Amino acid sequence: MINAKNKIFLLLIFIAGNISAQQKNIGKPFQFHSVNNMGLLEGQAGSTFQLQTINGAQYKSWFAGAGVGLDYYHFRTIPLFIDLRKEFGKRINRLFVYADAGINFYWKRDKDPKQFYYNDAFNNGVYSEAGAGYKVKLSHQIALSFACGYSYKKIAESGSDNYYYFINTPGNTSYLGPPVSSSMSKINYNLNRLVLKAGIEF
Amino acid sequence: MKKFYKALLKIFLPAIPGILFSSCMKDKITRTYQISTPIYEVLTKFRQSIKSQPAVAIGNTGKITVIGNYIFLSEPNKGIHVIDNSIPSSPKNVSFINIPGNNDIAVTGNTLYADAYADLVAFDISNPLNAVAKNFAADVFPDNSIYYFGAPVTAGAAINPDSINVIVGWETRDTTVDYNPNNNIYPYPVAFSNCSNCFTAAAAGSGNSTTGTGTNGSLARFSVINNFLYTVDYNSLTAFDISQRLAPSFSSTVQVDYHVETIYPLKDKLFVGTNNGMYMYDISSSPSTPYLLGEFTHVRGCDPVIADDIYAYVTINDSSACLGFNNELQIVNIQDLSNSFLVKSYQLVHPIGLSKDGNNLFICDGQDGLKIYNAGDVNNLQLIKQLKDAEVYDVVTGNGLAIVVAKDGLYQYDYSDLTNIHLISKL
Repeated sequence: MINAKNKIFLLLIFIAGNISAQQKNIGKPFQFHSVNNMGLLEGQAGSTFQLQTINGAQYKSWFAGAGVGLDYYHFRTIPLFIDLRKEFGKRINRLFVYADAGINFYWKRDKDPKQFYYNDAFNNGVYSEAGAGYKVKLSHQIALSFACGYSYKKIAESGSDNYYYFINTPGNTSYLGPPVSSSMSKINYNLNRLVLKAGIEF
Repeated sequence: MKKFYKALLKIFLPAIPGILFSSCMKDKITRTYQISTPIYEVLTKFRQSIKSQPAVAIGNTGKITVIGNYIFLSEPNKGIHVIDNSIPSSPKNVSFINIPGNNDIAVTGNTLYADAYADLVAFDISNPLNAVAKNFAADVFPDNSIYYFGAPVTAGAAINPDSINVIVGWETRDTTVDYNPNNNIYPYPVAFSNCSNCFTAAAAGSGNSTTGTGTNGSLARFSVINNFLYTVDYNSLTAFDISQRLAPSFSSTVQVDYHVETIYPLKDKLFVGTNNGMYMYDISSSPSTPYLLGEFTHVRGCDPVIADDIYAYVTINDSSACLGFNNELQIVNIQDLSNSFLVKSYQLVHPIGLSKDGNNLFICDGQDGLKIYNAGDVNNLQLIKQLKDAEVYDVVTGNGLAIVVAKDGLYQYDYSDLTNIHLISKL
């Protein structure tokens, strides 16, 4: 299990490595490219933020890479995903569309409410995001990007409760029946959010 | 300036649809759980299923009674394993008595008494491999009154078993509903006891067995003395006249403290263990109506008890169902039952059942294993041996043989030579 400090440390290493790699790419058809975003997530559960770093290869107007992030919507999660994006136009500043898909890993917080008394556990779930944006070049290597999209993440919480079964017997009598049972139960969180984000690309 | 506005528009253009549709961003939270529908059977047919069948593997272990070459080991809520212990180094699981709702047992002569939910069943065990249910005393254990809940009957009174339905199983299916995690209606479980010694049943009579009567573990909740079967319930002590062995008849019930756990017979006395202490009853003058002689209170906890002529040995543990915090052995002087007093306490890990043979005191200390002490001087118990083969619950001793109920089965130790106590079998 990776602890909180290690997760942040790995994230920083990932970003630092990308900046260094970017400087070696000039003139090559496949260029190492890094997208680093800070975003606002807006949905039924309120407003929270996300951080992302996506790193991969740029080929002409196409980009494919792998990303990792930090997402505080409803539950704190670490999404790990692949990213695909396409730029349009021939101007320096361009519109683009993107799509992400991957897994998000639950990262426990003490304030997260437990829904089950026994065996309460969270399962990692899918993560996806898609949207469009505009990229403004500041120099040959550095650009700002602004994007809006839709994001979906799923988390499942499972656990067990002990229930008495309350039933009705023939004759409509309220009845407390045997046996006392332990029943596994699962809560599926399907979380939909609007994403507004700004980033810097190398 | 125009270029600037165009660039600004392109930057914020992507945000426009998102802003417009942000109110549509609803979370979908569902809960998937099981719905169980009962399967009924008429009580008459249900009772016909209470009988011997071929041996089955021992699963969860419960109460124990030892008589002659046989061990009767209950499997909570399912029935009783019959074990031929003619050769303790090679015990044989020879049959299983199917008794849904069973927890407690007691044996005298050729009769076995067992609870089946709220009923008391008397079995003819002339042939232990073919126990035959001869009599059912209806609704005598109201705390476990399952199928009489809607229409309780007078304890022990005759009923028409064709008019009563029993739940014998459940049809279970998964269902998914919308769920609001901020309105969790089951933040905690409905009251449920995990305590192996609380609110369930067990056999009684420990230590020295009377001729022809089974020796029970200390977690017992049934006990036979002469012509009476004594049972304890959540807050009561009940006497059944068993002068006709196969036709127990309800005699009386006396109220005890709440959270009664165990009963232990010693000559003409009964020692009842509760969460809060030990209650001592006399049955010499009126066996059908036990008379309270005295009590000894202690800190709250699960507490099996055994006794000899001078001392009572009480183990207290911190099982959550008993709301206790202590884990210790308390030795109480009971020479004057109306004025008993604590002699000494010993800290243990999680003591449960216990037994005494001469000066040898056997304590099941949960995961810390079976501990055997020399209790010749109660002020200075000397540990003879600690056996950590299993998580142990209860023990019956005698003739150099310790029969131990553990979480994962039945263990037998030879202690005829105290310098060489060793495991001889495991079932």
